[in-house]
Amino acid sequence: MENPPSRVPPSHIDPDRVATMYGELGNKLVQHAKRTQALAHLPPYQTEIVRAVTREVRDLDRDVTRLLDPFEGSFNPSADPATACALLVDHLCMRRNKRCLMAYHRVRTEKLEELCWTGVDVLEQQQPSEGGEDRGVPQAGGGQHSSLSPEEEEYFRQYGDMLAAYKGQWTDIDLTGTLEPPKDLFIDVRVLKDAGEIQTEYGVINLTKNSQLYVRQGDVERLIAQGFLERLS
Amino acid sequence: MSYYDIDSILTDAQVKLDPSPEKLPCTFELEVPGLGILEGNPGEDIKAGTRIDLPLWLGEMLSIGARLGTSRLVTLDMPDALAERVMNALKADPRTVDLRALAPHFYTLSERILEIFEEEEMVDVLIDTFKKRAAEISDHAHNPRGAVGEGVDFLRGLDETERQLFRAAHDRAKEVRIWAGEAKKK
Repeated sequence: MENPPSRVPPSHIDPDRVATMYGELGNKLVQHAKRTQALAHLPPYQTEIVRAVTREVRDLDRDVTRLLDPFEGSFNPSADPATACALLVDHLCMRRNKRCLMAYHRVRTEKLEELCWTGVDVLEQQQPSEGGEDRGVPQAGGGQHSSLSPEEEEYFRQYGDMLAAYKGQWTDIDLTGTLEPPKDLFIDVRVLKDAGEIQTEYGVINLTKNSQLYVRQGDVERLIAQGFLERLS
Repeated sequence: MSYYDIDSILTDAQVKLDPSPEKLPCTFELEVPGLGILEGNPGEDIKAGTRIDLPLWLGEMLSIGARLGTSRLVTLDMPDALAERVMNALKADPRTVDLRALAPHFYTLSERILEIFEEEEMVDVLIDTFKKRAAEISDHAHNPRGAVGEGVDFLRGLDETERQLFRAAHDRAKEVRIWAGEAKKK
């Protein structure tokens, strides 16, 4: 029953963590994810919390090694239920943190995929949205310019490539086009950003900023989604 | 209830500093060295007989040892949200109880708790509660009475499952009107 080594107060617990219960940080991450689900855009990546949660997992793992060390590989749970309990708690906390991390990242990647399908280019849109965020809440990312982590940016890029390759198999169907039948074949649009010339069935249209055009809806759908054109009702 | 489901993760959670009711009162049956952090005393030991409110994800697994008949690590009590007092209130009139104040994820929490405890009567009370309240929710969703009507208190007291139900009922009614051509989009 008596295990002097495991009674040593764990010195590796850093002072910031003392007040936090295991799994609390992971919970914070999941609350972020919950909020993300309801938002149309993607809020900044919580680099700090993610790092803190992984740090907690590492601490817990060290704790397990420390607890098991004196047994030299011959640990029998029923002979020492107290240590077994401590090990179980450590393990459960690690498992919990893993689940929180996975769920947080999954919510975000799903959002990224959704943005890919709707044709929003997150990588391009960061500049304007960033100004708004700086004025409001100081983001946890600490001076990061993008609301995506580098891994997420890479994921977005590759997913976009994959989607493009998939769509490329059917040149006469636009898979990401709207599912709503158009009411009018032609619509009025205003050009918000210069987009150069585009080829349509009816010839070449030159899209210069602030010009107003009467064009076929199918031709410009993508450009509206990408924010080059604005539809006038 | 999937591994990645955010709401189910939140059901399992309890933040210690936040007086959330989604916690499981646990009593430790043996002395565990170095687990004081659960009590807010890192580095200390936990004495046998200590009562701590643990998050569901932790308490549930710790209690399993007791059921397997091996060593008993902790014993569980009913959480406050499902106390006798609450059950009596639900029996009297389900519509007047503020479920959200009891637990934001009241039904999912009950579901999990009832996997641990065997409480036939509680199942019946909860099913009855859900049915009665669902009818009321549907009424509110189809006949909006504005932000100052009598139903405000009731709607504020909906738990997460009920909120989703309300939103679904409300949106579908609107979509049917759009489909029937009675209303315009947006």
